[in-house]
Amino acid sequence: MENKQSSSPASFVDSTVVPGDVVLDLSSMTNQTIKLGGGLRQDCDAISATKAGTLRFSKPNKYWIESSQKRYVPCVEDTILGIVVDSKADNFLIDIKGPAMGFLPVLAFEGGTRRNIPKFEVGTLLYLRVVKANFGMNPELSCTDASGKAAEFGPLKDGYMFETSTGLSRKLLSSPACPVLEALGKKLSFEIAVGLNGRVWVNAASPDTIVVVANAIMNSECLSGAQQIIMLYDLMDSLVVVLLRETKK
Amino acid sequence: MEGRLANSWRLTVNDKNFIKTALLSEIRIDGRKPFEYRKISIKFGREDGSSEVQLGQTRVMGMVTAQLVQPYRDRPKEGILSIFTEFSPMADPSFEPGRPGELAVELGRIIDRGLRESRAVDTESLCILASKFVWAIRIDLHILDNGGNLVDAANIAALAALLTFRRPECSLGGEDGQEVIVHPPEIREPLPLTVHHLPIAISFGFFSNESILVIDPTHNEEAVMGGRMTTTVNANGDICAIQKSGGEGVPQRVIMQCLQLATSKAASITKQIKDAVEVVNTERALRKVKRHPTSTGVDVREKQN
Repeated sequence: MENKQSSSPASFVDSTVVPGDVVLDLSSMTNQTIKLGGGLRQDCDAISATKAGTLRFSKPNKYWIESSQKRYVPCVEDTILGIVVDSKADNFLIDIKGPAMGFLPVLAFEGGTRRNIPKFEVGTLLYLRVVKANFGMNPELSCTDASGKAAEFGPLKDGYMFETSTGLSRKLLSSPACPVLEALGKKLSFEIAVGLNGRVWVNAASPDTIVVVANAIMNSECLSGAQQIIMLYDLMDSLVVVLLRETKK
Repeated sequence: MEGRLANSWRLTVNDKNFIKTALLSEIRIDGRKPFEYRKISIKFGREDGSSEVQLGQTRVMGMVTAQLVQPYRDRPKEGILSIFTEFSPMADPSFEPGRPGELAVELGRIIDRGLRESRAVDTESLCILASKFVWAIRIDLHILDNGGNLVDAANIAALAALLTFRRPECSLGGEDGQEVIVHPPEIREPLPLTVHHLPIAISFGFFSNESILVIDPTHNEEAVMGGRMTTTVNANGDICAIQKSGGEGVPQRVIMQCLQLATSKAASITKQIKDAVEVVNTERALRKVKRHPTSTGVDVREKQN
């Protein structure tokens, strides 16, 4: 079977591909730098898919394959939520819902030196960035952004963490904002951190709010935008109770 | 070692604290009230005696089978009832295949005690020929998904399977009446088991601060709670069994409160099981009507003009 490399890249974007499909032909695109995200592999001039899912493109030049799973496959520059499992001399072992433990070097913090290594107890929730993610190796993580600043990374205090699929966590982070988050944000005030590995952390002043937000997000997994709003109207009764309680305080 | 660490489920410090603080305001993480049960859905398989129960995210499958065996020597006129539990590794990362662990044995024991000690299943009617042949009823419980509170779900699965199970009819024959002839289901209609009442297991979780009590704990709550108690009661208000294995101590009035709660919940769950079983039985009876070969198939063809 001949490899059909004559298909234009635009035809594959936003359509379902399976592993082995050649989605891009570099010989027809000269003088362009293309960034490849998760699920794509380069073989000389052909970019082929290694994962089943939808091919996505974002301006100016990023392509990736999107699919929703419960398990997370680490990808460089993803922001994730990890749980501390163990601490060794050089690294913290972090559980990131992937096939292998992540390693967080003890110095990967803003202003981190051998003298001020943070002490995390087992079970601490951290907001992290993936630095290296190679197949077969433990992914390397960091609590700083690319320029070395802390930038909101690090341990998360209080609140409640729940697990979702990777597809839902990507939807929550997309812009324009996901309908569930927008509708919830109009009525309630809460703080939320979304990890691309399928973990979401919510914090609010009262436990009612946290429970309502968590359940709303978990229920919105399979619903379209309009259905999400309808689902929230059903939750409105409990929201009214929550609002009354919040105004009484 | 690392591979095993990578695959186990963990609870963060934040979650543990949040579950406890939320319970102080009587809120549970899935939005239930402390004394509210999750939604129970009972489904049945094609065969008699197979059921699948879903309690929230927990799923248990029950299978009842029967075999003719020799009775125990000290009980020559009674049938045998045995319960086997299988904790499938797909239910929870901590379940290992092979020998049943402590949790599996405890679960089997609670359900066994509920059925046997309260004489819910009439074992004397299972005797065909005293000291020679009795029916041995075997209940297999497969845990498919662990979302918390496996005991209650497994108990309901066992009861639903027992109520829909049919054993073949048999009669004595042979020269001296000592042979047992088992009739196949097509010749003689199989018989249901005699179940006098339905013992329902209701589990409670205790939390350390100010003896907070919840009914039907989920997976997260089970990891955080200080103690658990399972009470097996029936709709008539009889207490069939109580199990409290370790954990922190609770005062007597809390136990009495639990028993009262359990009795009221047991009535509604019993009704739910009976309704589901009745639907299945009428459906099966209708299906059996069509099996009778009294009407032959007639080929109706359109007349072509």
